[in-house]
Amino acid sequence: MPWDTDTAIGGPDGRFPSTQLTLLQAASCGLPTEALDRVLALYWKPVYRFIRHKYGKDNEDAKDLTQSFFATALERELFVRFDPNKASFRTYLRMAVERFAANQHAASQRLKRGGDVAFEPIEEHASPDDSPERVFEREWQRQLFGLALDDLRALCERSDKALHFQIFQAYDLTGDDRPSYAELAKLHGIAETTVTNDLAWARRTLRILVTERMRGVTSGDSELREEMRRVWI
Amino acid sequence: MDLSDPVLDRLRQVAAIPDLGQTRYVLEKEIGRGAMGIVYAAHDRDLDRSVALKVFDPTFAGEAQLIARLEHPAVVPIYESGLLPDGRCFYAMKLVAGTRLDKYAAGSASLAERLRVLRRVAEVLAFAHSRGVIHRDLKPQNIMVGEFGQVYVMDWGIEAIEGTAAFRAPESSLDWRSDIYSLGVLMRSLLPESSSPALRAIVTKAKSADPAARYPDAAAFLKDIDHFEEGRAVEAWSEPLWHGLQRFGSRNAILLWLLFAYAGVKFLLFFLRTL
Repeated sequence: MPWDTDTAIGGPDGRFPSTQLTLLQAASCGLPTEALDRVLALYWKPVYRFIRHKYGKDNEDAKDLTQSFFATALERELFVRFDPNKASFRTYLRMAVERFAANQHAASQRLKRGGDVAFEPIEEHASPDDSPERVFEREWQRQLFGLALDDLRALCERSDKALHFQIFQAYDLTGDDRPSYAELAKLHGIAETTVTNDLAWARRTLRILVTERMRGVTSGDSELREEMRRVWI
Repeated sequence: MDLSDPVLDRLRQVAAIPDLGQTRYVLEKEIGRGAMGIVYAAHDRDLDRSVALKVFDPTFAGEAQLIARLEHPAVVPIYESGLLPDGRCFYAMKLVAGTRLDKYAAGSASLAERLRVLRRVAEVLAFAHSRGVIHRDLKPQNIMVGEFGQVYVMDWGIEAIEGTAAFRAPESSLDWRSDIYSLGVLMRSLLPESSSPALRAIVTKAKSADPAARYPDAAAFLKDIDHFEEGRAVEAWSEPLWHGLQRFGSRNAILLWLLFAYAGVKFLLFFLRTL
């Protein structure tokens, strides 16, 4: 599995630096901590990637800006002010990041150049396929599935279904070089039907876990349905 | 867990595939996507036949049941419904073989044939509206013309559906009159460029921006189509006198010819008598 070489924040080790968790927990945002955790787990990396891509920030600057964004968002009760009638939470958050990062970027440019410098997004001429918005959505999907896969692995370990996860990992998480059902059956000494059943269980459970992850960061069934529609191919 | 793009895409795909292990169906391929869910071609092992399998979110179940109760020759019949292990619902339906209306309209069908299809669509709308169901997304892509000329209106809507921009009525809250608007746009897409002013007037009335200016229901729309086909005046058009006379002439051509012949004979007899 390729690891993110830029930052492990929000990655497989769990979430984000514990200092940040403490900072966020300490902020009185009106949201239950668990819900806030879910928002951060899912959105930290998309926000980081968006800032990097849109403003051409290096790794450390992008991390700092991301951290500042979430801290400011909590201070100013950004999440509490979210109105699901106007946009999805994902869009609301991205637009808030855009405003925040643009202001920060413009301020830093003024400082560097003695002011009077017009703000110009670095990725202005990027093709539509890799626009910052697309990068943000793609990273959001990646993070969503990554977290759901962590949940699936944990669930399998808890419920004595390690073999289910191994089969799923070998068949669906290895890119194009996937083994056949027969090869997997032979490798694990089980029937081919068991392989297909285990695979079906893992996929089904993954879907449920993705839905649950999403439910934690949406305002209700309507938004959940809309977001789910963007997730499945 | 960090995922590469190909793996992410595969997961997005495989996690959406319905698990039919506990059903009598074997998945074959995806054949369409609507606002409500995904439709697959599947094989019914028990009856050894192909079916269409619509998989959708359980929050749509109530409205989906209402739609399923629509029994009409132009509504695709549902064989069975069920629940998947992941909580989604499915319907097994007749797998319709035929041509989508947009492709059918691009062909060489005659005006009479196009109007026949339109009539079937309006009839099923009238039926559905009488049972409190509105379509919400009427467009050529949701209509099939079967190999024996049957017309099927598919993908009946639910409240969450917003419709397709080009066919959607301008009002924010959709009701049965919004379907009349879509029917008007649909009719325009079916008519040739040089169609009669009466037909164009029917389109204009059906797709009025003001819902109150449209036909009050699908039956009234049908009545105007009937009138056009019978050579009578349509409600949607205040025709000029000459056009009324022309229409009267073509509608009563045989009678006029008989009258003309009778007058000719009478004149001939009168002329002979005066010799």
